[in-house]
Amino acid sequence: MAPGIRTLFLVAANVLIPIAILTFASGFFPYKPFLSGLAQYEILDYGSPPEAPFDKVVFMVVDALRSDFVYSGLSGFTSTQSLIASGAAIPFTAHATSPTITMPRIKAITTGSIPSFLDVILNFAESDTSSSLATQDTWLAQMKAKQAGKMVMYGDDTWLKLFPDFFDRVDGTSSFFVSDFTEVDNNVTRHVPGELGNDDWNTMVLHYLGLDHIGHKAGPRRSPNMIPKQREMDGIVSQIYEAMATKKSLQSTLLVLCGDHGMNDAGNHGGSAPGETSPALVFISPKLTEISRGFMSPALFEENFQYYSTVEQSDIAPTLGALLGFPVPRNNLGVFISEFLSFWPNKNDRTQILLRNARQILSVVTATFSSFEGDGPSQNCGELSNSIDELACDWRGIVRSVPASGEDPDFERWIGAITKWLKQIQELMSSTASNYDVSKLVIGQAVAAVALFSTSIAAGPTVFNALRTSSPFIAISLSYGIMMFASSYVEEEQHFWYWATTAWLMLLWIKCNRKQALSSRLLALSSITILIVMRFARRWNQTGQKFAGEPDIARTFFFEHKTFLWTMVTLTYLWNLQSLATKGFQRFNQTASTAIATLLATAAVTFKLAFTNEDSPELMAGIAKLMIGEEMGVSLVTRARIVFIALGLALTYTVASSFSHKRPNPTMRTIHDLLTLLLITQSRATNIPLLLLFEIQFFLIADLDLSLIEISTTSLLLQYSSFFAFGGSNAISSVDLSSAYNGVSGYNVVAVGVLTFVSNWTGPIFWTSATNLLLLKLKNKTGGKEKGIFVQHLALLTMFVTCALFGVMAACTVLRTHLFIWTVFSPKYLYSMAWSLGQHLVVNVGLGSMLFWLGGLYL
Amino acid sequence: MPLIDPVTMSAINPASQSAPAKTSSPIELLPNDLARIISQVHPVLLLSAYYLRFPSFVADPIPTLLSSLLPLAIIQAAYAALCLPATGSNAKAVKRGKLNGAKKIGDAPSANAFTLLFSFVLSLLSTPVLAGLQILFGAPITTHLPHTLLSSAHLALLTVFPLVYVHGSDGKKWREIASLHSPIDEVFGGAVGCFLGAWLGAVPIPLDWDREWQKWPVTIVTGAYAGYVLGKMVGSWLLKGRRIEFD
Repeated sequence: MAPGIRTLFLVAANVLIPIAILTFASGFFPYKPFLSGLAQYEILDYGSPPEAPFDKVVFMVVDALRSDFVYSGLSGFTSTQSLIASGAAIPFTAHATSPTITMPRIKAITTGSIPSFLDVILNFAESDTSSSLATQDTWLAQMKAKQAGKMVMYGDDTWLKLFPDFFDRVDGTSSFFVSDFTEVDNNVTRHVPGELGNDDWNTMVLHYLGLDHIGHKAGPRRSPNMIPKQREMDGIVSQIYEAMATKKSLQSTLLVLCGDHGMNDAGNHGGSAPGETSPALVFISPKLTEISRGFMSPALFEENFQYYSTVEQSDIAPTLGALLGFPVPRNNLGVFISEFLSFWPNKNDRTQILLRNARQILSVVTATFSSFEGDGPSQNCGELSNSIDELACDWRGIVRSVPASGEDPDFERWIGAITKWLKQIQELMSSTASNYDVSKLVIGQAVAAVALFSTSIAAGPTVFNALRTSSPFIAISLSYGIMMFASSYVEEEQHFWYWATTAWLMLLWIKCNRKQALSSRLLALSSITILIVMRFARRWNQTGQKFAGEPDIARTFFFEHKTFLWTMVTLTYLWNLQSLATKGFQRFNQTASTAIATLLATAAVTFKLAFTNEDSPELMAGIAKLMIGEEMGVSLVTRARIVFIALGLALTYTVASSFSHKRPNPTMRTIHDLLTLLLITQSRATNIPLLLLFEIQFFLIADLDLSLIEISTTSLLLQYSSFFAFGGSNAISSVDLSSAYNGVSGYNVVAVGVLTFVSNWTGPIFWTSATNLLLLKLKNKTGGKEKGIFVQHLALLTMFVTCALFGVMAACTVLRTHLFIWTVFSPKYLYSMAWSLGQHLVVNVGLGSMLFWLGGLYL
Repeated sequence: MPLIDPVTMSAINPASQSAPAKTSSPIELLPNDLARIISQVHPVLLLSAYYLRFPSFVADPIPTLLSSLLPLAIIQAAYAALCLPATGSNAKAVKRGKLNGAKKIGDAPSANAFTLLFSFVLSLLSTPVLAGLQILFGAPITTHLPHTLLSSAHLALLTVFPLVYVHGSDGKKWREIASLHSPIDEVFGGAVGCFLGAWLGAVPIPLDWDREWQKWPVTIVTGAYAGYVLGKMVGSWLLKGRRIEFD
């Protein structure tokens, strides 16, 4: 087949990849339409809406406040516990649905709806306006619409992004550094006394981040800061409670203390483990003693974190509605928490609250299910086959038997029936919250299949001319696709790559032993080193689900051997420096080019030291600590910008100067070194030595004299295994955001996105660049005789990507009703989007072909 | 996946023996009925012994692996002594005629005993090397060291022992074995199958079935035994004389 046609098929396949991904995604993560506009009180036959017991609300969110942090015997919330015991506080466990990260949780709390999984992406692309709640009905919008007071907000600026121009007085804090336990909370607390003195507001939102940071840093059990932080939060609760009890202007104020999500025992969140989905929820006011006689506090230990009674997080919205006197937000799927019904002695009021709640949910439900419209049976509902018809039938029964007055003998029974119905409809709506568009799923898969077919044609000649050589590659592609159906292999994907990579490296040793290109002793030495490096890389970061948090090199060993860490980091910088100094900037003399390289390295090192001092001060020790002591004053953003600009200038110079200066020079090597320096800058200090290990591996592999197919196979395997070695996994919680804001001061979604990608896909990007050098070497060796080296390489990689994509899509379609779809397969789909669009299309295809083309010019 | 090249059936075709890299030929069993019978009984014996010990292996890996080393060594020694041509015994003579074969065994019992001993010593020496290889392949390094060492001892008795018994310490031959380029016979086939099986044995470990047998090194040793028996049968019969080709 003519090379031109092959290239055409390859291009077609790569164009089809994003189409397949986006089509499938739009069917898999359907955009949820919402009813717009603010809810109004309906005119019902039962008179005007019931009187609200409260007129002001203090909504205090403590990020990652797991239920046991407040309720258990080991808690630091002692005065809150005494409020619970006295009845002035009513405790709940508020179930948070997956994904348990801040932005979707705030959406659930404020709108009462269940946000779609797409919000995970939007949580990272924070400035995206489509995720804003400005036009949606929320309890904040309702409080604002009352025009009874100002809105104030202190704490996590996610609220400010979700509610632009909502608040009258604000001070947003952002969580740039999870090592910041105190400053981030003091910035909130310092406003509290002043605001408690003001009487012009009716809504005060406080969002404390410190406790979440402590969890991320050291986990809930190990950190010595956890209990002091809980005491600090407890102090704020009692400060507000004191004010509520004594100040006249605050006597009808409701304080709500809650977590947006919990955390697991490693201190992370995002998934659906019991710890992550069980935040605390406490309603506090002196007035609550009217309806509560108190609860046992501290509570007995609960293994599953279900303390007191469990409600849904979305139940907060309608409950606040009744307590503060505004209609239930339009898209709400929450149910009024019945514990509070006793606030209304008039039973007619109770009927009304539940009926209004039910009618509002019904309007959401009717938009989805037509069974609720029109007539139908209202008796013997249990005989209906369909649970939706059954609920519709129950509803007609409930409407017909609304008690005329509180004296109705059936009153209690009716209250029970409607509460049960509300819970059932809530469950129904949350399970069907994702209506998959199956036709789009099928189209997406069909397009992926066409892409796979088309890339198979492009790769066909390469494969068939060397069927045996390419069989490992084919086997990897097929087994990877099949593996996507097993949830444990998706969770523990790293094992597959480590397992296959080690075997492949062993096979390379055996193959090279046969070729006898190197002396067998030298070959043995280099192969064993490659394997040893691989073994260390495997253990660098414990990743996956089962063993996450177990001892490893990055988080356990280096914390105990800081000098060793910094020695390794220094060696990495020195390796890069010597390579740049000896091979780069050839038009300068040796001294000058060494000076340039040293300047670059110095800028990078000082930034990294300053960054680590902020991000993980516990790692600083010895010389590193001394060095950071000397140079303060320049902000981190500026330092990062200096590094990026210096790298950019060096890169531009290298590319430009080599054009005019034709000679066999190591330009591409210099570009690789500059890219590596960028990758080092975007890595956490504990991961930097990994790049040194990869450089050693690359140096040794380059001498093995590999064929094209062997290079592609090695590249694929090392790209994936290095991703996991750097701590990546298929869980949302493993996305490392620590380097996402390097050099960015505002919210630039493109810059933050690129930096996040680079800092999470460091290993794969390194290996793309290294592969390019191997391919150029091969091209050089064959003297240009072998045509289309890069096209063949890309055809193989595209074949893997389309095969993997097809597998992931098929697994997501087949298992879409599976229990793990939200916890395992949806995150996996997001990851395979990043792999296919980011790592494959942008890095391997885009960056790779640009580098190969550049290298071809210099040859 | 290593594939087998049907073109290089060198052992059957004497002409190809002229190629310097491929001078070696597959091992033939000793030419007597006892050897043939024993070599068929051997895998059955190994697998049934393994099956019987499996429950206690899962419950108590270290004592079981340790206590089964001696029986395994006896089985392997008997198999080697009764079925395989010892190194140094004139392979050509064995191949040439069945008449001499029976004599050969009787000829040098002391030499064979020495070969057996030598094979044991080398198996013992290779155990730490195999353990190192297992660690490179992902065996735990900070824990479970006795497990890894004992499973390596089993691997050594299954693979290194018969290989040393038939090939001795011939450096050239061993380089050929190390590059998996030796002609396939039941000894080499068994060794390749054993290592491949041990590697594939790692596959069920990450599954969330929470079974006791998923722990280290149960699946690895199981894979090794299964692979050994399969490799030995395939090597003695289906693919005998062929070579593994990667390109």
